[in-house]
Amino acid sequence: MRKWIALSAVLVAAAVLAPSDAAAQASCPVKIGGVLPLTGSMGPITKKIAESAQLAVEHINAGGGVKGCPVQFILRDDQGQPTVGVDAAKYLVEVERVQAFTGTISSGVTGPIISSITAPSKVVQISCCSTATPFTLDGRSQGYFFRTLPTSKTQAVATASEMARRGLKRTAIIYVNTDFGQDMTRFVKLALPKLGGDIVAEVPYTDNQPSYRAEVTKALAEKPESLLLIGFPKDAVTIVREWLSLGGTQKIALNNSMRVKDFVDGVGGRFLNESFGMDNAQVAGPTVDAFNKAFEDKYKYDSKGPGVHTQYDAMMVLGLAMNIAKDLTGPSIKDAVRQVHAAGGATVGTGPEEYKKALELIKAGKPIKYHGATGPIEFDANGDVTGPALVWKIVNGEIVTDHVISIDQMQALFKKIDG
Amino acid sequence: MMLAQSIADGILTGAIIALGAIGVSFGLQILKFANFAHSELLTWGAYLALVFVAFAGPGTPTAELSFGWQMMAAMALAALLTGCLAWLVDLLIFRRLRRTGAHPMSLVFAAFGAALIMRHVVVMIWGHGTHFYTRELQIALEVLPGVRMLPDQIFILGLTLAIVVALHLYLTYSRTGIAMRAMAESPSLARACGIEVESVIRWTWILSGALAATAGVFLGLTPQLHPEMGFSLLLALFAASILGGTGSLAGAVVGGLLVGLAENLSVLFIGSGYKTAMPFLVLLLVLFFRPQGLFGEKT
Repeated sequence: MRKWIALSAVLVAAAVLAPSDAAAQASCPVKIGGVLPLTGSMGPITKKIAESAQLAVEHINAGGGVKGCPVQFILRDDQGQPTVGVDAAKYLVEVERVQAFTGTISSGVTGPIISSITAPSKVVQISCCSTATPFTLDGRSQGYFFRTLPTSKTQAVATASEMARRGLKRTAIIYVNTDFGQDMTRFVKLALPKLGGDIVAEVPYTDNQPSYRAEVTKALAEKPESLLLIGFPKDAVTIVREWLSLGGTQKIALNNSMRVKDFVDGVGGRFLNESFGMDNAQVAGPTVDAFNKAFEDKYKYDSKGPGVHTQYDAMMVLGLAMNIAKDLTGPSIKDAVRQVHAAGGATVGTGPEEYKKALELIKAGKPIKYHGATGPIEFDANGDVTGPALVWKIVNGEIVTDHVISIDQMQALFKKIDG
Repeated sequence: MMLAQSIADGILTGAIIALGAIGVSFGLQILKFANFAHSELLTWGAYLALVFVAFAGPGTPTAELSFGWQMMAAMALAALLTGCLAWLVDLLIFRRLRRTGAHPMSLVFAAFGAALIMRHVVVMIWGHGTHFYTRELQIALEVLPGVRMLPDQIFILGLTLAIVVALHLYLTYSRTGIAMRAMAESPSLARACGIEVESVIRWTWILSGALAATAGVFLGLTPQLHPEMGFSLLLALFAASILGGTGSLAGAVVGGLLVGLAENLSVLFIGSGYKTAMPFLVLLLVLFFRPQGLFGEKT
């Protein structure tokens, strides 16, 4: 009996507290929730990221806020732990009733937040830092998740294009059997055939093994003429040495993790003169400089560091999208995020003045094109962005940059691959 | 074609595992406890050889090998020092526990502790990174149609075979060897026959340490050293020694070869994602169907 009373009490409470559409209409202040690992192993890098988010909120408020209201940013700590992060997000969405959400860094925390909090509650979430591609692809986000940094897809496609450009044929892929390795392999497999290459073998490997002769043998059985190795430096040294010993070709493509001296020295630079690899490239441009200056002026140190630029853009995109949205419900904001970089729009940049300019354009019903702290921010169908990539190679044991693949070239590549 | 290559690779991995497994097997049978610190002796052996190589250099490549006599000397020295290290660990930790009549489980936990300390001392001295004996890169020879092996690997196989034969003769004919086997059969009976138990235990540690060091150096030759190199082989070592039947030399060797083959062939038939699970699987199958091991006797 007592159980029933408790249950009905909960139901009544739920009915009373349930949001009505009217409540979702602008009531000041507009709340944006954030979850970041302020403490824990990622605490040190998060400090600047949180400051960057704070800077963006100041710029938004100085530039006119959201629909006439100032924005209140409520930031909670996830300690780098999924349980803590989900609790924090739950509090923000259900108690604070934030209208939009940003976070977090670790994919292991972001994933559970999407599937258990933001997507079911239809709250738009933008992450500065989580790269795991499944979030935007496996349907769990229902379109409510976006991110402002390139995923592994960018690197995979850039790798495939460079392999094709160099005319590599009959490629064997050896990849580390993790989310990252599988992700990269899947996209390379998608891209390479369309660009003119072909894949003859795919062999996953488990890290920290004393030897990979079995894996290498399996890959070599298909008589490959080139190798794509996706993994981490320590095991990669073993794999490449065994690969070369067993008669494998020196035409080897590598992922970003191998852009370290340890790897080159471990294998021996003289065997790597035909090898090359990929990495994300740093963007330049006036809106990037403006952000860097604003950050330095406020905090008295530079803005270098992972996630600092992408977090600023995550906040600015939320601010702009909430202004574009016809009301502050999740579905409207979700659709508006895609209009932040509209075709034929007037370019708007970083800082309060540019934000104010953007609001005037939006009020006048004109499209805008946001160029942020990481350059132009354009989300693809999945809610991911593209960034420029750089190709590096090894010359006499030294790692040197070969050339940069610009965003425009990346976009063209994506079009070619995605059809 | 690929099958032959996989078998050759499996035998090589198996040879290294076998050398390590002999020590584990001695531990289980003669010392009567599961020494989880054994894998660290492999690591220590490899790093001790590295110290010598760092001074003397790996030597000019002799014949087809990637190293010279210096490497051989380093290996011998490392075997000796690691043997002493194993004995030292016994003196500091296990002997005290034995004297107080500690439960075998206490010894196992002490071994875990010892393993952690030993591994982290390696990190402290040589760092987290990887090391190499030699930066030479060999190109494999086609020893049989479709089977490619490095000269170093052929050397490793040959030396392992020689060591195992020598060990067999030692255990069969030498006084200490016979005493060790007697201890394995029945410690109390051995003691009653006038065998000096502590001396046998000392020799067991030194021998296990030396064999582990040799396995460690072989592991380091193909191709790099890192602080977790021994630890990553721990399960394979235990699987091999239990598979063969503890206390039996032939058992440990055959067990090692079977584990090595199972790992390598699994890549061919099941997929490399499951390679690390193979020692577990072999271990489970043995425990289900022949708990005393292939060469063990029912007790």
